[in-house]
Amino acid sequence: MICILLFLPVLLGAVVLLLNNKIVTRTSLLLLPLIYIAVTMLVWSGLNWIILPGWLNVFFRFDSIGILFLGVMSVVFLASSIYSIFYFDEHECSVQQEAVYTVTMFLFVAAMAGVLISTHLALMWVFVEATTLTSALLIYFEKKKSSLEAAWKYIYICSIGITLAFVGIIILSIGSRSFNSLFFSDLYAHASEINPFWLQISFAFILVGFGTKIGVAPIHAWLPDAHSEAPSPVSAMLSGTLLNTAFLGLIRVQGIMIEAHRDSFSNFLLLITGFLSLLISAVFMLQIKNYKRMLAYSSIENMGILFIGIALGKPGIFAAMILLVAHSFSKTSLFLTSGNILNIFKTKKIENIRGLLKKDSFTGWIWIISLLSISGLPPFPAFIAKFLIAKAFFIAGLGWLAIPFFILLAIILYGMGGAVFKMSFDDNEIEITETVHLTYHAYLGQILMLILLIAIGTNLPETVLSILKSAASFIY
Amino acid sequence: MSNILIILLGTSILYIFAASRIESYVKTLAFQGFALFLLVILDLKEINWINIAFLAIETLVVKAIVIPLFLLRVIRKNEIGREVEPYISQFYSMLIASGIFIFGFVAAFWSAKVGAEVKPLYFGVSIVLIIASLFLIVNRKRIITHILCYMILENGIFLLSLSVANEMPMLVNLGVLLDLFVGIYLFVIFFNKIQEMFDGNHIDILTELKD
Repeated sequence: MICILLFLPVLLGAVVLLLNNKIVTRTSLLLLPLIYIAVTMLVWSGLNWIILPGWLNVFFRFDSIGILFLGVMSVVFLASSIYSIFYFDEHECSVQQEAVYTVTMFLFVAAMAGVLISTHLALMWVFVEATTLTSALLIYFEKKKSSLEAAWKYIYICSIGITLAFVGIIILSIGSRSFNSLFFSDLYAHASEINPFWLQISFAFILVGFGTKIGVAPIHAWLPDAHSEAPSPVSAMLSGTLLNTAFLGLIRVQGIMIEAHRDSFSNFLLLITGFLSLLISAVFMLQIKNYKRMLAYSSIENMGILFIGIALGKPGIFAAMILLVAHSFSKTSLFLTSGNILNIFKTKKIENIRGLLKKDSFTGWIWIISLLSISGLPPFPAFIAKFLIAKAFFIAGLGWLAIPFFILLAIILYGMGGAVFKMSFDDNEIEITETVHLTYHAYLGQILMLILLIAIGTNLPETVLSILKSAASFIY
Repeated sequence: MSNILIILLGTSILYIFAASRIESYVKTLAFQGFALFLLVILDLKEINWINIAFLAIETLVVKAIVIPLFLLRVIRKNEIGREVEPYISQFYSMLIASGIFIFGFVAAFWSAKVGAEVKPLYFGVSIVLIIASLFLIVNRKRIITHILCYMILENGIFLLSLSVANEMPMLVNLGVLLDLFVGIYLFVIFFNKIQEMFDGNHIDILTELKD
């Protein structure tokens, strides 16, 4: 299973490059996410063959939280792959370009899978850095001036940030000299032996490092640029899976803090960065001009809420897991739809887009429904998550923090909702004569996401609930 | 012997602060790589031989030869061997460098005093390298100097990991090296593209994207 996740993308990528054939490329682009989903399901049902040699096998393992993240990643990957086909057709990509895109995407996904199943802190770091390197090429895929700038900012800022996380890892190994191991299982088992001073410094460094990758304020500078300049299916992958992946790294380190009973320190830092992200996002959301950047700031907001969630202890982390799923699916749907809008209107400026519903009613409705989903209205799961986080504030004895929390959320919703409704409805001044019809690839991914969201939100299936619960019980 | 090497590594940072030509950055990088190689060899008794062979090859071949040569070729090809163009003048940079050194020494003394399980001199100088390279990144206009300072940062982290003398598994060492290699390669690719498309190599020209 681990072999499939890590090596199949590389193999399949080699095949794609060698054959350089349009049908092979597109088939494998759709095949890999399906295989990933199948692997996730099999592993969850308890089946797991191991064909790796023993010395390699100790570095990889599936655990409950990893499976949740893997499942979310695979589903988002499927939606993004379906949309990529539409993207190729619309941009008239050459066979060569399609192959390069597909191979880079495969390596990117394999690197993310590596982060999710690593059992060693430094190895996980290696994979996180690998996700940066592979996705930078995808951001630059359109080869425009602006996408080059975004890619440079992304790769440089994230590399420096991630390097600081490595400083944190070395510092952690200073503190853990007594048992001299950076395997998570050892770190959890011997957490109380780690020197608290070095542990806290190390957490601060790792928070900055992985925080850069997660895109929380004040180290989010790359995020709006990269998300707005990447091709839409890549933006969906960045927002729906990459941020989660780095977030998992941070959760695992937070697990060490909890085991070492130093979580009051880490929770404090997480709360501050979380609220700062909400604040930054709210400030920029009020004067937003570019709808893809708007979605990027919304990602910063949601990552901030996730930070607040895990800082609030046991009830918060369960809420955070629900929000993570809700955010990934809704944001994927939003980013893919933003690709449709870009395709219809050829602009990213909100002010130039009016009457989306008349122009292409299907895109318009998906756009609006996805907004409702991300903003946490019932019946969508983000509602449950935000409700549970509000509850967690009171359980943690920080009820007063719920007030600024909801005020900031309301400001963000006001900014985002205003923009979305202006784009969709406001069509008094302009005459829209022709309607646009895109191929079904342009809608399939989003519809899949919205169906899943409504299914989770209205009637949480037992399996999903148990996956969420066991993931949440991972660190407490 | 290893103490002298560490001191030389520290001095190389002062040299970089004072240097005004970009090529001297590359030479310093090669020197640092070689010094790290000697340090690894001198620590021979502490680590097992596969790891030491790997680290020796990594420092000597990659850090001291391949990456500096690669960057030197890029610099010569693009004819940007002249000034480094700092934001803050050389004099104030030197003052700040002294401040960083004082901090590094305090950290070294402190780590020796509290009995932290690190080698104090290694620890102090590696902190100097890390902070100084971050300062240089902020204080330089040219994109190529950003890439060079990233390498200095990597060297600082390598020294920090030597100060702990905790060995990482082989797989991790390999992965870190691969990431570094691909990272530098991609940096240079993007750097070349920026020169082509933006017609310049200052970080100030990247102004396409803002809110």
